[in-house]
Amino acid sequence: MRLSLSAVEWHSGSWKFDADGVFTPGIHLISGRVGSGKTTLALLSSRLLRPDAGRVEYDGIGSRTLSFQHPEYHVTGSTLGEEAGSYGVDPSAACVRAGLAGREGEDPFRLSRGELKRFQLACILMRTWDLIILDEPFSALDCQGKLAICQSIQENRSSIVLVITHEQHILPRTDYLWEMRSGRLFGLGSLPGALSLWESAPGSVRMLREQGITPANLTRDDLMEAVCMMHG
Amino acid sequence: MHDARIRLVSLVSLSIATFLSIAGATLTMAWLFLSPLTLKETVKSAAFLGVLVFVGIVAVVTQLSGNDGASYFIRTGVILLLAFSVYREWYPGEYLDLSVWLFGTKAGFDIGIAVEMSIQGLHEISREFARIRKAILLKGMKLEFRLIPALGFLLIHTHLMRARDQADLLAIRGFRSGGSCCPVFRTSKRDITMGILAILILSLSFIPVRDIFILQI
Repeated sequence: MRLSLSAVEWHSGSWKFDADGVFTPGIHLISGRVGSGKTTLALLSSRLLRPDAGRVEYDGIGSRTLSFQHPEYHVTGSTLGEEAGSYGVDPSAACVRAGLAGREGEDPFRLSRGELKRFQLACILMRTWDLIILDEPFSALDCQGKLAICQSIQENRSSIVLVITHEQHILPRTDYLWEMRSGRLFGLGSLPGALSLWESAPGSVRMLREQGITPANLTRDDLMEAVCMMHG
Repeated sequence: MHDARIRLVSLVSLSIATFLSIAGATLTMAWLFLSPLTLKETVKSAAFLGVLVFVGIVAVVTQLSGNDGASYFIRTGVILLLAFSVYREWYPGEYLDLSVWLFGTKAGFDIGIAVEMSIQGLHEISREFARIRKAILLKGMKLEFRLIPALGFLLIHTHLMRARDQADLLAIRGFRSGGSCCPVFRTSKRDITMGILAILILSLSFIPVRDIFILQI
């Protein structure tokens, strides 16, 4: 099972996006500055946007989904129960997983954006997909919410999971690191080796690199362990 | 066309000319053909086609009830085409400049900022609609009639949220009424030519056709 982007190009005015890369099962973290083309990559990879040139190929991928940064766009039901039903998941289980137990009859727009985001991600991650694309999954979430989403993402390691984010503090255990730089996709490789090539690395990773320490991965535990090494 | 002042004068002149007669509508159509790229993009716009279909239905009903439905369709169709084409050439800040130039930094600024925010809101709605359509496709659903209330509610909800944020932002910045703005307009030779043509078309539309052409039946 793999997702291939072959000489993909897309233009918007003078801005140009181009990408070449192969995504296999595992967790792919794609970072980059605001406006670097992360959402465009998400739309092209989910085939919701047609490239101007090149090909986006699915090999063995039967089901795919994309979570937008703003959870409101996904709402089609007038209650959380209906909303969970539209994803084909059990409403009460989805509410429990999102920390909203017993609120199946509530209007989705009565929730805060963070609650709605948690609920929408819970609905998506409760199903099995071959390709999961999460555009800014950590936005609007508090620390606990981010950790819970990291856990759910890690449970889907057998799928191809694209985590597109500029989150700097709480990240899932990552298999492959990618970076968008001014509209161009760069494959940095697998961890921990890729960390030395990461231009938009979080401050903690940069600080460790300066001390000559490479964390094993990007989870909070990995970073803590690396910091402990720094202090002997 | 770059200069918003000339564009506004052209829009008003050509709308009146089109409303007055079929000859005015024909000449306005010819004026629109002078900007073929904008016209081509407008004709392809789903929003324009949607409104045109609605106008077409009204025209058919008018014709069937014994009135001049064809004339209504042609004139309203050209006015719509004109409005959509002019709207397509809008760039952010233009109506603020125009309004301040026309009415000054007090009332003009307030009117301008309200118009700018409304137009930006329309642009946002169009972008949001595209995103919502994609989200619906991802759920394996089709954009069908029963989803329209949910979609409408969602668009209103996001619009209200944005309006609240903008209102808060203006309040935090201390906005009460009026403001300073130095309007800047870029005027090309083409703008002037197009503006003169528009005024000429308006003048011609006041003259009966038989005074220009010798018609023999």
